[in-house]
Amino acid sequence: MNKQTKPLRHVLGQSQAAALLLLPFMSVYLLFLVYPFFRGVWISLHDWNLLAVAFNPDAKEFVGVSNYIKVMWGKNIIWSPLASPVLQLMGLGGAITSALLHRSGRLGRTTALAIGIGAIVFFILPGFHPGEGGRWYDRRFWPTVGNTLVFVGLTVPGVTLSALVLAVSLNRETRAMSVLRTLFFLSQVLSVTVVTLIWQIMFSPRQGLIANVTELFGGSPIVWLTDERFAMAAIVITTIWWSLGIAMILFLAGLQDISRDLYEAGALDHATGVRAFWYITLPNLKRTITLVIVLQIILHFQVFGQSHLMTNGGPNDTTQVLVRYIYQTGFRDSDLGRASAMAVFLFVIMGAFSVLQFVLGREED
Amino acid sequence: MLKGRYYWLVFALSIPAFIWLVPTIWMVSLSFQPNDLLARTTSSTALGLVPLPFTAANYAALFQYGQTPLWFLNSVIVSLGMTLGVLLVSTTAGYALARLDFPYKAPLTVLILVGLMVPEQAVFIPLYTMFADFGWHNSYHALMLPRMAVPIGVFLMMSFFKAIPSDIEEAARLEGVGWLQIFWYVMLPLARPAMMTLAILTFLYAWNDYLWPLVSAQQREFFTITLGLASIQSNFAQSEGLGRVMASGVIASLPVVLLFLIFQRYVVQAMTVGGSKG
Amino acid sequence: MKHLIIGAALAAALAVPATAQEVTLARFFGACEDAGTDTKTSVGEACIIQSIINAASEQIDGVTVNTLPTDWGNYYDQLKAAYAGGTAPDVHVMHRSSVAEFAGLGALADLTDDLAAAGIDTTDWAPAALDAVSFDGGIYGVPMDFHANLWHVNMDLMAKAGLVQDGKPILPTSPEEMLAQAKMVKDATGQDYLAADFAQFPIGVRLVLALMWQQGANIFSEDGTATINTDAARNAVTAITQLFDAGVANPQLNYADSQQAFLNGEAAMLVNGTWVVDFYTAEAAKEEVGLNNYQVADFPTLFDEGATWADSHMWAIPASLKANDPEKFQAALKVLAFINDHNVDWARTGHMSVRKSVVASEEYANLPHRADYTGTASIARDTPPSERYGAIQDVLNRELQAIWLTGKSVDTALGDAEAEVQDLLDR
Repeated sequence: MNKQTKPLRHVLGQSQAAALLLLPFMSVYLLFLVYPFFRGVWISLHDWNLLAVAFNPDAKEFVGVSNYIKVMWGKNIIWSPLASPVLQLMGLGGAITSALLHRSGRLGRTTALAIGIGAIVFFILPGFHPGEGGRWYDRRFWPTVGNTLVFVGLTVPGVTLSALVLAVSLNRETRAMSVLRTLFFLSQVLSVTVVTLIWQIMFSPRQGLIANVTELFGGSPIVWLTDERFAMAAIVITTIWWSLGIAMILFLAGLQDISRDLYEAGALDHATGVRAFWYITLPNLKRTITLVIVLQIILHFQVFGQSHLMTNGGPNDTTQVLVRYIYQTGFRDSDLGRASAMAVFLFVIMGAFSVLQFVLGREED
Repeated sequence: MLKGRYYWLVFALSIPAFIWLVPTIWMVSLSFQPNDLLARTTSSTALGLVPLPFTAANYAALFQYGQTPLWFLNSVIVSLGMTLGVLLVSTTAGYALARLDFPYKAPLTVLILVGLMVPEQAVFIPLYTMFADFGWHNSYHALMLPRMAVPIGVFLMMSFFKAIPSDIEEAARLEGVGWLQIFWYVMLPLARPAMMTLAILTFLYAWNDYLWPLVSAQQREFFTITLGLASIQSNFAQSEGLGRVMASGVIASLPVVLLFLIFQRYVVQAMTVGGSKG
Repeated sequence: MKHLIIGAALAAALAVPATAQEVTLARFFGACEDAGTDTKTSVGEACIIQSIINAASEQIDGVTVNTLPTDWGNYYDQLKAAYAGGTAPDVHVMHRSSVAEFAGLGALADLTDDLAAAGIDTTDWAPAALDAVSFDGGIYGVPMDFHANLWHVNMDLMAKAGLVQDGKPILPTSPEEMLAQAKMVKDATGQDYLAADFAQFPIGVRLVLALMWQQGANIFSEDGTATINTDAARNAVTAITQLFDAGVANPQLNYADSQQAFLNGEAAMLVNGTWVVDFYTAEAAKEEVGLNNYQVADFPTLFDEGATWADSHMWAIPASLKANDPEKFQAALKVLAFINDHNVDWARTGHMSVRKSVVASEEYANLPHRADYTGTASIARDTPPSERYGAIQDVLNRELQAIWLTGKSVDTALGDAEAEVQDLLDR
């Protein structure tokens, strides 16, 4: 590099410029995210009634971790290795598999460790259950967490896979393809209330289009939103319909980044069609896939509107999700302390996902 | 032969695309049918997908009395304001973190990225009490500010700026151009595709956000369309005026859909340009 | 398009004259945007209340009323958020059942000494109405109605099943008889005997509560002990589940669906509130509606004593308004007085009036189907007051839905409900 004449026309040094450029973000960040976060933790340590404290700031009472105990623990809770065998065996299996894969050199150390820890948590957590005469202090909390996980576990793969397939099929610069892309993206711009409005009536057993079609073919309509077996599925379908677009666009952008030379070279090795997708597209799309999955997990863990507006969390709480429970505890039951304790829990879960994701992403690079 | 396969593909994809569109078509069609008919049946003509008998009364009523236009305007103001705000703070911070050297850069980057783990919904209660203390509820800035603090935009812009080859910048540095000028005249124009993506993501987020407006806005003047629609779709009203509610839904969606249809070409183009450079 | 929207928004903003006191008003009942100001012809809860509000805004000098639209589902959450955020509406509607929570925390203005001056005669209120708005010796609101669960009857289906006598439906007097009559309807018409929202709003809860009260039982006692896992509750629940088991009622319908089933003539009975009487009357008059011959009946007594779920709508003013803005407080009182004066118009929905003078009036007696359910006022009941009413109702709704929608065993569900309600009462 040539380091000779360097007229000093610029006034700001590098650090000063950086400070100036970082100032806007850092101020909103500290004020509206970092501070509220710690304040949330602080609230969670208090018995804090929404209305009472609003009228009289001294009406709160420090109670330590009692809110956490009331939400997450119970009377006479015991642990046994096979309380919920399916989940626990899955966890155990995962831990063993990651250890074996690491031994055989297929997995790096940090990745194996991260997966291993995640799997062990899966083994340990579902093992807790009330012993004889015992019970959870809040019997709705853990099922709500479970529902949220089920929702994320169904929606994220659903969105990611269908968006990937669509993006690969639609990745051609022709008019027809561009129209089709637009059609698939269209639902994404609708607001959550429009989406739930449409699907609430789509799913209605009497007024619904789905029911009308079913009856046309002589079937008896499914009572989607009030049947325990279908309510979650209904919400997942709605969400996939709604949020497929962005994932598809991100995949399309990622596909554009893959050089055509790779495909031409691949064609010489008879890698076309599905083989080209498997050996060229997928490996080169890894980063986009990671990004899409992270975005989707973050997004769908915070699901609220679909459950709140379509099913009210029902039937029998099968579609009750964490954010809705936080909202209800805070604003219907006025118990901000408990609600904040749950919010902190939400943070811990999402944090764990982010760390896992971060570790995996780093190793791949 | 290849041509034939292409047409088959288009045909095969048209079927799911049509199914994808059906719920939207249905909403539009219902909004053009008389309310008292809908109270009895929603499938009068072609499963209700064709608006016969036809009426525009639902829309007439909406424009005559409805608050939908006001709510819509609020959504535009809040979404645009939030988008501009996010673009401003994300591009500046993203550039500084990606391209500049300064003390404590590594810990600061970690501090910001850690913020990615804090879901907005995990802080809405403290935010609510905070804004209540400030007396900020029922205002546009109360609706916009919280989202601007979310570091996902910084993260996106940072990744983008990192990918830009350093020779452009170095050439400018040798000319003696200041850091801020480089950011403004060199980097921002290059970053247009990424900014576009971020802007769309943010705008859609803002448009769709439900929980925060639900908590923060209790006055009609500051209802966003998302919130306003939730307030009229309760089932007590629904059974008495399905057509009208659907018309509100259409009005709420139509401008955004149109905006997107115009905008989308530019988005795809921008992404293509960004892609060929990368 | 854009200009039109901006224009409409400007028009909405400019419509309020600057000199008047603007009173913000929060209510549920749903939206009615074209209600107008004629309080005598509007139909349905939403439009009748909105026409009264519009008329108040038009006719009270120096006062305009700005209605904050709010949906049912989030009403109390939003109201609380507004109170806690210091932006409470100047006037708002609420249920009697929520008075304990709001007044207990000092949120509501004590109106005891202000009502007479505002032209509201509390001695004209029925004793139960005065009781509904009273808390700790003070009056915290203006009552607007008693509303209760009724049985809405499709007389054509009942006639086909031979269940009509002297132009009145024959109603059951015991669970066993109910099942027998239900089967008669099913056999004669092929339609369901009874429809109700068992899947969404707590209308099923109110049904079970009524049947518990009819046995002299309750879900919790005044001293805060939950009593849900009891024989009375089991009897009440089985009285309903026997209908599902026999296939003469469908538990999976929500509010809108159950209503549509009834209007289509697919159910002989609909259990729903007083608030739909005028709406169903209007619907039944239409030729294309399946329901033609519509009647209303008091909730039948299936056990020992008569009882049906009831509550009251009432209007309140925030304590902060009375303390900080006396002028606007007076304006808010005028709005309450206006609503009180138009009690008979509100009664057109089907609700029962809270004013003795209205109940005695000919106009009231001549309202459609009014004579069908005169007995309801004397059997109206509700749970003991609790600050956690909403949460308790939610627990019951969840566990009852678990019974009829997901097949949870009655004993387990009632046991869970009792434990959870006890937790809420102890909190």
